[in-house]
Amino acid sequence: MVTPTARRGPENSLQRKDREFIWEVAGDHLHGRRPLATTRIPTAKRRRPLFSHGHGLPPNGIVPHPGIKPNTHEGKPNYNGAPTPPPSPSQSVFVKTQKTRAYSKRFQVKFKRRRQGKTDYRARLRLTNQDKNKYNTPKYRFVVRFTNKDVTAQIVYATIAGDIVMAAAYSHELPRYGLEVGLTNYAAAYCTGLLLARRVLKFRDLDQEYEGNVEASGEDFSVEPSDERRPFRALLDVGLIRTTTGNRVFGALKGALDGGLDIPHSDKRFAGFKKDEKQLDAEVHRKYIYGGHVADYMKTLAEEEPEKYQSHFSEYIKKGIEAGGMEALYKKVHAAIRADPTLAKSTKEPPKTHKRYNLKKLTYEQRKASLVERLNALNSSAGADVDEDDDE
Amino acid sequence: MPAGHGLRSRTRDLFARPFRKKGYIPLTTYLRTYKVGEHVDVKVNGAVHKGMPHKFYHGRTGRVWNVTKRAIGVEINKQVGNRIIRKRIHVRVEHVQPSRCAEEFRLRKVKNDQLKAEAKARGEVISTKRQPAGPKPGFMVEGTTIETVTPIPYDVVNDLKGGY
Repeated sequence: MVTPTARRGPENSLQRKDREFIWEVAGDHLHGRRPLATTRIPTAKRRRPLFSHGHGLPPNGIVPHPGIKPNTHEGKPNYNGAPTPPPSPSQSVFVKTQKTRAYSKRFQVKFKRRRQGKTDYRARLRLTNQDKNKYNTPKYRFVVRFTNKDVTAQIVYATIAGDIVMAAAYSHELPRYGLEVGLTNYAAAYCTGLLLARRVLKFRDLDQEYEGNVEASGEDFSVEPSDERRPFRALLDVGLIRTTTGNRVFGALKGALDGGLDIPHSDKRFAGFKKDEKQLDAEVHRKYIYGGHVADYMKTLAEEEPEKYQSHFSEYIKKGIEAGGMEALYKKVHAAIRADPTLAKSTKEPPKTHKRYNLKKLTYEQRKASLVERLNALNSSAGADVDEDDDE
Repeated sequence: MPAGHGLRSRTRDLFARPFRKKGYIPLTTYLRTYKVGEHVDVKVNGAVHKGMPHKFYHGRTGRVWNVTKRAIGVEINKQVGNRIIRKRIHVRVEHVQPSRCAEEFRLRKVKNDQLKAEAKARGEVISTKRQPAGPKPGFMVEGTTIETVTPIPYDVVNDLKGGY
């Protein structure tokens, strides 16, 4: 068997039976036909001693090539039409899909936070852009984000150095006010928004001035500017959430509004807005604010599917929360929030810092200093008594 | 058809965005504040079509004379014929950068104030004026050997051998 020696032209230097072997191995999808001229067999593979055993099989059989990735072109600008073979089945080892060097050189990455899929820059631009004739006046955003188990509400303003969070409220603080379960539902979002609003107003000494809507009625409530100081104004920042009617984001918004913040809004997206009548049904909205929708579900489940009720609402049952007691519970939470919205300092110790296993990256000054040291050491060891240090 | 001298004529490369910098512009441009009297550079951002200055002003530096909601009024000198006119244009903030032309002056001002304050505390009188670089100081040339160079007598034969 001839060991292939040629570097170029995969089939030129090989005998016919060897060539046919390569086709067999390389192209199961080709069904015995010759591969097209465009199928390149990578040089590295060709130079391995494929035929040294005399059986015509590579030493370890046909293994799928690690790292074959199908070439996706979505969302990549400046793609210059590099040749990309179709994604190969796992058997076909030698045909590798790849992005050419030219493609990578011309590729323009999106902003980091866009790559991570976290920031909508179009929205962010419009939220942070302040009128130039207002100079350094900050433009506050009321940021609401949901994770799987938590609700985050923050008041943020943008600076060149980075965004600064003025105040934040999380739904994992709500146990302090008496709400222990259901921390990501509409009612909890309302509580979080309310907590944030009261916190910010207290921070700015506006909490006596702007009580907001103490009795949550579900109606559309906007703060009235009082005589002395204007209300605290912020703009709702939903992030990447799809703004549908009844989204929890608007629950948080309602909480902040009732708390006394001035946030421009419309009632179109509150839970309970009827598209046909183009009116907000305040009763329905009130129900959602007090967890009425959860209570209803609890009731129906308890009647019809008791096992599911046990599993789904296990935490509620453990804490002894009943469908009927929802409203009273939330009323208590709201009152507790209004009574003391200040942030409680966490009594947890700071997490212990782990030992560093890799080298710490030196700063420019440190690198320069170490270079000077090394050069001085070299000079002195060489015996040269030139008195200058080469710190170029 | 004739060439045409429209507003943006001959700006194909001038207004083009740099390589791999297309698309959304970083938000720092919008977060900067400008006060009346500051110096700014006008540099057109081809991605934003509103509030673009004329191509003449690309690369010019001027002073801010007005600040509006989304734009800055900049006063730039333009030579028209035999005189220089102070032109006042309004430019959106995307096409403007803070200029560093006055930065050195501002830093020097601060440093001079500091030096003067220190000198006053010590009771001295100092001059903080910048001096132009004077002639270099004299120095002795050291470690040299003297090599006397004299002309050698002209040798026709050797010269012609080199080829002519």
